[in-house]
Amino acid sequence: MTTHITAIGSGKGGTGKTLISVSLAHALAHQGERVLLCDADLGLANAAVHLGIQETGDLAGLLAGTKTLKEAVVRVASGPHVSFDLLAAPSGSAALANASEAQIQKLIAALESAQGYNRVLVDLGAGVDNSVLTVAARADETLLVLTPDPASLTDAYAFAKLLLRRTTTRMPQALVNMALNATEGRRVADALIGSANAFLKAAPDYLGYIPFDTRVTDAVRRQGPLLSLYPQSPASAAIEGIARKLHGAGPAIAVAGLR
Amino acid sequence: MRLRTFLAKDMKEALATVRADMGPDAVIIASEKSKTGGVMVRAALDTPEMEAAPAPPEQMAVVTDIDSAFHSGMLKRLRGGSAEKKNALAFDRAELLGALGKHRLPEGLAHALAEAASKAQLTDMTLALASALDKRMRPYPIDFSAANALLLVGPNGAGKTAVAAKIAAHARLAGRRTTLVASDSAGAGAVARLETFAKHLDSAVTVAENAAELNKLVSDCLSKKTFVIVDTAGFDPRDARARTAFIALAQTGKLETVGVVSALSDAEEVSEIVEALGTMGAKRLIVTGVDLTRRMGAITAAACQSVPIAHVTQSPFVAGGLESPTSLSLARLLLDEQRSAQ
Repeated sequence: MTTHITAIGSGKGGTGKTLISVSLAHALAHQGERVLLCDADLGLANAAVHLGIQETGDLAGLLAGTKTLKEAVVRVASGPHVSFDLLAAPSGSAALANASEAQIQKLIAALESAQGYNRVLVDLGAGVDNSVLTVAARADETLLVLTPDPASLTDAYAFAKLLLRRTTTRMPQALVNMALNATEGRRVADALIGSANAFLKAAPDYLGYIPFDTRVTDAVRRQGPLLSLYPQSPASAAIEGIARKLHGAGPAIAVAGLR
Repeated sequence: MRLRTFLAKDMKEALATVRADMGPDAVIIASEKSKTGGVMVRAALDTPEMEAAPAPPEQMAVVTDIDSAFHSGMLKRLRGGSAEKKNALAFDRAELLGALGKHRLPEGLAHALAEAASKAQLTDMTLALASALDKRMRPYPIDFSAANALLLVGPNGAGKTAVAAKIAAHARLAGRRTTLVASDSAGAGAVARLETFAKHLDSAVTVAENAAELNKLVSDCLSKKTFVIVDTAGFDPRDARARTAFIALAQTGKLETVGVVSALSDAEEVSEIVEALGTMGAKRLIVTGVDLTRRMGAITAAACQSVPIAHVTQSPFVAGGLESPTSLSLARLLLDEQRSAQ
């Protein structure tokens, strides 16, 4: 089974990247994929906080070589009949905040050779530092989360620019979070695409938008999976739509031998 | 990337403010009507500062290079400053010929220019060369507030599509409505690029399948006082068969033919191409890619042909507009290296 690695980055913090990662893991698992969610926000891992669980898996142990991937992950049941594996480090453990280049390479190697998964979702840390870009450059695809906040646009642009410089050809796919409606989602993405076209001569694709939804805030407060708590909410529907797009792309790309 | 938001009473004022505050490389990435009746425009400018953000270990060595580059650059500037004062180049025919040769000017043109320069009786070499160029160059910039319909023609890869976008941008700054037209033969890639450009310029894009359609389109636009810029497929104007196909397009009458050639071509080739464009009825010339070339032979040859030179482009960015060369600016370009060598 080939593993498709999808990295999720944002440049700026506070764009809802972790919530999106957790929800996408849930949605993809619900669509039948075997998913591993890796919380590679090496400084401030908090996917487990979003899910309201105590166990996080042992990412540090994996990197130290004391645990195999199988031993390091923890199974998360995010809804009835829906589960995925989580690989993270306890929040605030800071053990990985200053991960060395060698450790990052080791993490990538472990994810690339992960057995038994169709999909590895990697929640990258905010920012554009070396570890974030190294992981993003090695992923099969990179989602770039941005919001209508102008500061988010400049940071997303920085992310796209540096990813392009690393890989010489690759652009992320833009995912607009907290948009009022489809028009605003498109407008925010177009601002990024326009800047990239003008300055980099390459542009991210527009993957879609997730509407601003108070139930998202509520789900985060209740530390429960959005898609289980509010399956009918607009944000849940949008995330499921995004997951379907990714799900469609994954196997097709693998079949074409482009991986 | 630097991001700024401007409020202005209309698009024209907004674009002017963006240019004034952020410079020619800024691009408009979003615009909307504001509730108070004006427009709100968001502009972006790429900034080199952020490029220093990531430091992969293998690039650590580069940092010392930047330091030494800065150091030597500083020294050069300090020395250059004092040097420049004492040596405005004195006229020397042999030296001038040498400089023109280094720039790969066609031999005939180089000798003619040196001859004219020596007759100018000027002791300053730059001024002497400028006066020689002045006799041959006819700058004829496009008046963006008055031009009506332009047909861009030239060899493949000269940059016609980007020039079309630049002209549209200048026309927008002059407060004109614009329509970009891809003629039938412009190809799918050009249409897509025009559409991308047009989106940013708030301009329309149309495709004309044949000369009749183009004719109708141009008439429509002219009656609405819309500035039409027609992009075409590249061809070699020296080739008679290719030329006849284009004469059909140019026959539309109301279109002014503008030749586009690249400064990166060979000087002799450019001379021939410009001459052929002239016989096809080109009224002006635009030379692209001047920022990319270190040998000014092609641009000088182009400027000294019978077709008047309208503009040169020095930047691949749409906002990095069209400049109007003068005999003095061209003379400086040709002698600049000479000066720094001394």
